[in-house]
Amino acid sequence: MKSSILSLCTLLLWPLAAFAHAHLQQALPADGSVVSSAPAQFTLKFSEAAQLTALSLQKQGEPQARKIEPLPTAASAQFNVPAPKLDPGVYELRFRVVSDDSHVVSGSIHFTVATQ
Amino acid sequence: MNPDGIAVAERAAALVCLYQAAGAAFFVVLFQAQLPEVRGRICRLGAGTALCGIALVLLQPPLMAARMAGDFAGLFNGPLLRVALHSSNGAAHAVQVLGLSLIVIGLRSQRVTAWLAVLGAALAAGALVLTGHTSVRPQRALLASLLSVHLLIVAFWFGALRPLWLAVQHEKLADAARVLRRFSRLAAWLVPCIALAGLSLAWLLIGSWSVLRRAYGLLLVAKLCVFVLLMGLAALNRWRYLPGLAAGSPPARRALQRSIVAEYLLIALVLAMTAALTMLFSPED
Repeated sequence: MKSSILSLCTLLLWPLAAFAHAHLQQALPADGSVVSSAPAQFTLKFSEAAQLTALSLQKQGEPQARKIEPLPTAASAQFNVPAPKLDPGVYELRFRVVSDDSHVVSGSIHFTVATQ
Repeated sequence: MNPDGIAVAERAAALVCLYQAAGAAFFVVLFQAQLPEVRGRICRLGAGTALCGIALVLLQPPLMAARMAGDFAGLFNGPLLRVALHSSNGAAHAVQVLGLSLIVIGLRSQRVTAWLAVLGAALAAGALVLTGHTSVRPQRALLASLLSVHLLIVAFWFGALRPLWLAVQHEKLADAARVLRRFSRLAAWLVPCIALAGLSLAWLLIGSWSVLRRAYGLLLVAKLCVFVLLMGLAALNRWRYLPGLAAGSPPARRALQRSIVAEYLLIALVLAMTAALTMLFSPED
């Protein structure tokens, strides 16, 4: 029936109208980097202003991630969050932000703190 | 536990209820005079799915808070709930609940209150223009207009499938065939509007074929495959089953109903894919 043709034409194009997300443009420590000393803070720079709603850090070999709090409450394109004391090892920093258009975006960066 | 999967499934269910309810309202207002046997059933379908839709929409702010937190503890996180409620999603949810409530009121009264049902359907189906990418682009007015046309027609067509099934099941076959023909005539007028609005949106928002090489594009291709399947069903219905129905053939009626069910399920699948696309992916990923 024509109805199905019509509805699917619409549905195929509809999602194209809903993709505005803040994207991570830069991180410090950078993704995949090896740093010689533990970072004092984490820096996340996004493509547009967003609100940082979750940040957690997991060391390889540890069973659970630890939450990093408190987080900035205002929306911004760049966040500088004090880092906890880090021992040498491989880490995954996970974040979640919400953009102006209400999209929740998650991501992670991996970095290594080298043994002194 | 990551709440993203549950949130996507919940949103898919909400979209199905929302567009079913809105579409049933449009259908009742347009075709009730020709469907004496199933008018009440369609009203109950519209009101029932609207009530389900309200429940599902009300669940979305807590689920958004959980997504923001990255775990289900976020469901009860006051500050994140406030962020969710004050976001553009929160505004869209409020309008959806208002629209669905009007559908319930419009379709549950003894005599259908057409203007209430249509207003509710328009609000419920069109509320998504308040959020998402189109809501933050410079050409907002144009994008919102195009998207509104899309959403309203999606609601009309998707929401008409179940009422059409009921008409084929319970009305005299000649009456059901008449409704299906009228429905098809409307479709012929609406096709250009859908295509025009959809292509314009795509042109304004994407502008690159490279998206087809990423997860977002692959999901679009998957949806295209479903679309091709539906095209096959559509051709079968239009040229094989509908003439049989008009001629009073019971096998044609059964075949048409099976085909409508298949269409409904395939479009519901597309709605689920849409929920995943809009919540988890973007062309830039």
